[in-house]
Amino acid sequence: MFRYLVRRILWAILLFVVITFVTFVIFFMAPENPGRAVCGGERARPQCIAQATEQLGLNDPIPVQYGKFLKRLVVDRSLGNSYITEQPVNDVIKDAAPVTASLVFGGAVLWLMIGLIVGIFSALKPRSLIDRIAMVGVLIGVSAHPVWIGLIFSYFLGFKWHVTPIAGYADFFNPSEGLPGGPWQWFYHMILPWCTFAILFAALYVRMIRANVMETMNEDYIRTARAKGAPERTVLRSHVLRNALLPVVTMLGMDIGIALGGAIFTEGVYSLPGLGRTVIQAVTDQDLAVVQGVVVFSTLCIITFNLLVDLLYAWIDPRIRLS
Amino acid sequence: MATNSRPPEGAGDELLVVDDVKKHFPITRGIIFQKEIASVKAVDGVSFSIKAGETLGIVGESGCGKSTLARCITRLLDPTAGRIFFEGREITKLSRPHMRPIRRDMTMIFQDPYASLNPRKRVGFIIAEPLEIHGLGTAAEIKLRVQELLEVVGLNPEHYNRFPHEFSGGQRQRIGVARALAVNPKLIVCDEPVSALDVSVQAQILNLLKDLQEDFGLTYVFIAHDLNVVRHISDRVMVMYLGKVAEIATREVLYREPKHPYTGALLSAVPIANPELGRARRPIVLEGDVPSPVNPPSACRFHPRCPRFQEGHCDVEEPPLYPFGDGQVASCHYPLERWPMDADEMRRPSQQARELAHSS
Amino acid sequence: MALLEVKDLRTSFRTDDGIVKAVDGVNFTVEKGQTLGIVGESGCGKSVTNLTIMGLNPRQNTVSSGQALWKGDDLLRMKPRELRDIRGNDISMIFQDPMTSLNPVHSIGKQLVEAIQLHRDVTKRVARARALELLKAVGIPRAEARIDDYPHQFSGGMRQRVMIAMALINDPDLLIADEPTTALDVTTQAQILSLMKRLQEDFGSAIILVTHDLGVIAEIADDVLVMYAAQVVEQAEVHDLFNRPQHPYTWGLMGSLPRLDADVERLTQIPGQPPSLLRPPSGCRFHPRCPYVMEVCKTKVPALVPTQKDPDHLQACHLDEDTKDREAAKLIAETMAGAT
Repeated sequence: MFRYLVRRILWAILLFVVITFVTFVIFFMAPENPGRAVCGGERARPQCIAQATEQLGLNDPIPVQYGKFLKRLVVDRSLGNSYITEQPVNDVIKDAAPVTASLVFGGAVLWLMIGLIVGIFSALKPRSLIDRIAMVGVLIGVSAHPVWIGLIFSYFLGFKWHVTPIAGYADFFNPSEGLPGGPWQWFYHMILPWCTFAILFAALYVRMIRANVMETMNEDYIRTARAKGAPERTVLRSHVLRNALLPVVTMLGMDIGIALGGAIFTEGVYSLPGLGRTVIQAVTDQDLAVVQGVVVFSTLCIITFNLLVDLLYAWIDPRIRLS
Repeated sequence: MATNSRPPEGAGDELLVVDDVKKHFPITRGIIFQKEIASVKAVDGVSFSIKAGETLGIVGESGCGKSTLARCITRLLDPTAGRIFFEGREITKLSRPHMRPIRRDMTMIFQDPYASLNPRKRVGFIIAEPLEIHGLGTAAEIKLRVQELLEVVGLNPEHYNRFPHEFSGGQRQRIGVARALAVNPKLIVCDEPVSALDVSVQAQILNLLKDLQEDFGLTYVFIAHDLNVVRHISDRVMVMYLGKVAEIATREVLYREPKHPYTGALLSAVPIANPELGRARRPIVLEGDVPSPVNPPSACRFHPRCPRFQEGHCDVEEPPLYPFGDGQVASCHYPLERWPMDADEMRRPSQQARELAHSS
Repeated sequence: MALLEVKDLRTSFRTDDGIVKAVDGVNFTVEKGQTLGIVGESGCGKSVTNLTIMGLNPRQNTVSSGQALWKGDDLLRMKPRELRDIRGNDISMIFQDPMTSLNPVHSIGKQLVEAIQLHRDVTKRVARARALELLKAVGIPRAEARIDDYPHQFSGGMRQRVMIAMALINDPDLLIADEPTTALDVTTQAQILSLMKRLQEDFGSAIILVTHDLGVIAEIADDVLVMYAAQVVEQAEVHDLFNRPQHPYTWGLMGSLPRLDADVERLTQIPGQPPSLLRPPSGCRFHPRCPYVMEVCKTKVPALVPTQKDPDHLQACHLDEDTKDREAAKLIAETMAGAT
């Protein structure tokens, strides 16, 4: 177990270094000279470009640039400054990250709940009417694009029937002037984005959990449990679910990472000021520092999260814990 | 060190000679770089030889290495050490292209009739494939031969175009036999060919194998864990334990006068289909489980479970294969003086036992 | 009163290909302390018979009829709650594959304690002490240390011992063992059979032992049921069965066994393979493979009736008794030839 831990952590560190390096190379090997971007792009004057290039340290050799970047990252814990607004990228991210986190984690809770309830129920009553309806639902959920779903929801529930807000975000803790805020408003604004975001994953999880539970129900040790005289609810809780849901933990780790990418669409539809919208804006503005900052931050989050999930899995499965 | 590519002394005209073959599977450890810290000693120094036309039965329990040994003989696995000679020629280190012609003379039948046939290929193709690989005939000739083979193994030649799932377990095993027979081999290695079959079907396959041996002059290496089956079909029997040979003898001698206590325990443990005989005897029940092949016991591998264990000797000096005449060898310092013997008698080896080993 | 009386038990499964009659009219009784062996090849219905008695068949697409009277009460008609009280308590079952029969994520101590607490109102501490007692009784070395280990840390033979401990922990009157040693090595099998015999003496339970191995039957059974294609074809006390087998299928089974104690040149083989239970043959189900088949066998189902010489020995075959005795004697002479 200990060796597994150490090995996983070393891999995580290695992965982080590789990804930041690749990111760095991509951005600074980009055809567009960042110096020109800072000076306003098309209308940049040569003097300005030369000055900016010098300031950004772009005349240094690549390894030196990377070294400085890494040092700034690790020692100063800074992601630099935005090219356009001169604001520290750290601040930009600090404002945007909680929004994305609300979306992703809230969505994850929602999709897990749906996945567990519908998945387990379908598995216990295979080929019943409810099961068949659920499977059709799964098909829709997997096929429909989140943007389309988002727009449909936003139109009907928000615009036509005024059940939820059409778009926008409400800060949980510190609302700005004139904007809605506080826990209830936050929740109210997030319902639609959560539903939109979660549908795809809920569908996938219903299918996977259903398959896992059905497979586990056929295992020999379930028959042993029944032969001992255990009532069905004990068999389900203590024997079936405990085994069938182990893989869900691993899947969750992987899917949170993928979900982060999907969050971009949802944020766009509902105008949520999260990392997704931030990075799209930055790409349009050619604000490479912000783009890079978001990429590095997201990568760090995904790697850490996956590491935690793997460690958790190793802990709860005694076959791995005790090998 | 130059390899001596001649068979060991006294090998004579043996079809297959196995000389001190070992197969170790490494166990690695390490965070970044994998270092070998131990190995699973699946086969740890096995030697025997087989003459053309005879059947050598190899028997032993799980973990004894018999399946690994079978795969080493046919070079499906490469031995870690030791030499293998087929028809006087060393094949231990032959490259794949050089092994290919040898694979015409040495084929294999596997245990699981449900897993050893490709479910997506028709039966005719499965049997024809070895013929095609070795270029033994035109398409028409091969087809004829396949139909001939189907008849020989007792299947309907018109089922040439069927898929494996359309056959029962016993019939699938017959297909496996036909496939092994296709290239007219000299030696067939049978790895537990009847273990997965019902008793009545088992009898069919055993009879078939015996008939084929007579008709085609085949030599068999027959691996099984069922002592009854091995006794029925073998001329000589080799008993393995934890990667080493415990005893080799002719069929009559092994079952009538085993010398190794493990052989005795095995024979004693087999249930006899005769209530009077079965209940009259008091079987020798061994304690504990078979130890792990990663860390085998020192000296004699069997000493922790042996009823005859003599401290200071059996755990210190590894017994060689003592000869007992008539080709019987057993690796025990205190071989059984007589048989049958019950557990109490086993525990008290007499002076005669010691002499028996060392005089021969 | 007999402990268990099974009357005309039938179980069918509805599959995509049709209705499979896995058990088609089985009768037997089990007395206190008796060991009943059920022998047959794969697909003969021996396992499904016991699963039906215990109510462990899948609920959907299964139809069972007949009676399984446990001390007078019909198990097939009991309410689920009553049946659960009996399972693991009065009647226990152990299965073939010890590697997959234990829950991999619970320690064996936890699984043993669960077996107790399902049926007895005791504290965990008391239950754990009892679990330890049973582990020692079945011969698990260093039981105190190993009680909290997980199944994957035990070998196959040890796991089967744990299963036996779990089955006997509530002092059942009947233990049903479905091929308990088939997946084990022969020396381990000897250990487990010897253990079961000893425990039977200590605990006084009756045993139903299902196996395909006639040798195991000979070692341990008092009475034997021979099953073929979902029906019982012969039933007798164990010595009677081996001395005077009365059914061609039994002869075929015995003759096809390679033996340690005899030298046979060619094994008797039963031609063909077991029939499909979707559309079993008419009349006697064994008739397509029977070397003694007569016209009547193809149309009329033979009833399971006592032999003239011995009313406790039942058989289902149209052949007359003298022919049967003659064939049986011939078989025994052949298979005993060269016996040591």
